[in-house]
Amino acid sequence: MRSLLDFIIRHSYVFLFIVLETLSLLLLFGFNDRQNEAFLMSANNVSGTVYKWRSGVGQYFGLRRENERLAQENASLRSFLYELTDSICLETERAMSSDGVMAARVIENSVRKDDNYMTIDKGRRDGIAQGMGVFNSEGVIGVVMVTGNRYSVVMPVLNGRTSISCKKLGTDNFGFLEWGGGDPYKAQVKDMPYHSDISVGDTIVTTGFSSVFPENIPVGRVSEVERMKNGYTLRVEVDLAVDMTDLGWVYVNTLTRDPEIDGLYKQTDM
Amino acid sequence: METVSFVRRLGSFLALAAIQVLILNRIELFGYVTPLFYIWMIARYDNSMSRTAQLLWAFFLGLLIDTFGGTPGLNAATATLLAMMQPSLFKLFMTIDRHDVVVPGIATMGGSQFAGYLLLVTVVHHTAYYILRSIPLGDWTVVIFKILFSSVFTFILMLIAESFTTNTSRKR
Repeated sequence: MRSLLDFIIRHSYVFLFIVLETLSLLLLFGFNDRQNEAFLMSANNVSGTVYKWRSGVGQYFGLRRENERLAQENASLRSFLYELTDSICLETERAMSSDGVMAARVIENSVRKDDNYMTIDKGRRDGIAQGMGVFNSEGVIGVVMVTGNRYSVVMPVLNGRTSISCKKLGTDNFGFLEWGGGDPYKAQVKDMPYHSDISVGDTIVTTGFSSVFPENIPVGRVSEVERMKNGYTLRVEVDLAVDMTDLGWVYVNTLTRDPEIDGLYKQTDM
Repeated sequence: METVSFVRRLGSFLALAAIQVLILNRIELFGYVTPLFYIWMIARYDNSMSRTAQLLWAFFLGLLIDTFGGTPGLNAATATLLAMMQPSLFKLFMTIDRHDVVVPGIATMGGSQFAGYLLLVTVVHHTAYYILRSIPLGDWTVVIFKILFSSVFTFILMLIAESFTTNTSRKR
């Protein structure tokens, strides 16, 4: 008995090892997606401040380019304003209205992993909620996945689970934007009906179906069109409009979706 | 004595975690290859440390890096595994028949022995790391590519770190 006790005490580190490994592997595999997101989120409350500080330093060096971009955007908005005074177009006005859009800063971003995530410095406190679309002056970036009090995690286009409905500018044939990993400058549109008139160089934009994004936010430019093996749909290779590797400020679409639409989706189990 | 070494270890713990999270996690050579230099702490475990302490330091270092990197459990699991194996790996390259405290290094082990030891430590850790990270394993060649290139990268960083530590200790 005594020797057994001795043995256990002398080798207690083995038990410790087993406990620590089990704990880590549970963290790694045991969580379902929901809890994984919760981990990401709690991690953000801890690390958000650190990342904010670091990106503050980083963004200081990018200020020049960021300023140029803002100036350009100002210019295009101004010209848009002049156009608006001529012809009143309700749909586009909604798309450009400023009270439905909140600016946020990207404080952490990855593009090289299989599933990338991005953190922005606005959270529940600022009125950000799950499912809101994130974009910038160039185009679509992603969808808010989890919100903390002061920070939110965004699932960008560069994530295997992303699916954003989009269409060719000016038509109503739509498909879903997905990302198969690898190149952070390219993504694919799937389930586009094969009869849609799409060719290389066309602009792909959001549909605005789900009100996650306003209509006609640029997604990218078609670089390749391929008919799927099933024969009914097209697979469209897209050069993304946004350089996901270089993001500073972004907009969050805070226009809440119509509760009636949500209610209908719920009824149909969508 | 004990508290001094604890404070120093805590210092290098925080420094390595900061270097890994703030700088190295950003490096993605050829699109995939990230150096995991933080295992330097585990590679430098001396033979006077208790096994329990070795495991706990490694686990929490891994967990800290996981917390910031959004990879729950991945670094914690592989760092703990490496900490468990480190004494045996050390013994492969160095016969410790003294009761002295021996810190793995060029001064104590000799250049080629130490390099061999470091390389083995790196490859063991990176193999576990990239296999766990890539589950379900799809393309073996990509995983092997990542293991090899990251290992070389980490190994070079550790050699540089070693050259710094030997220089400073000579000056003293």
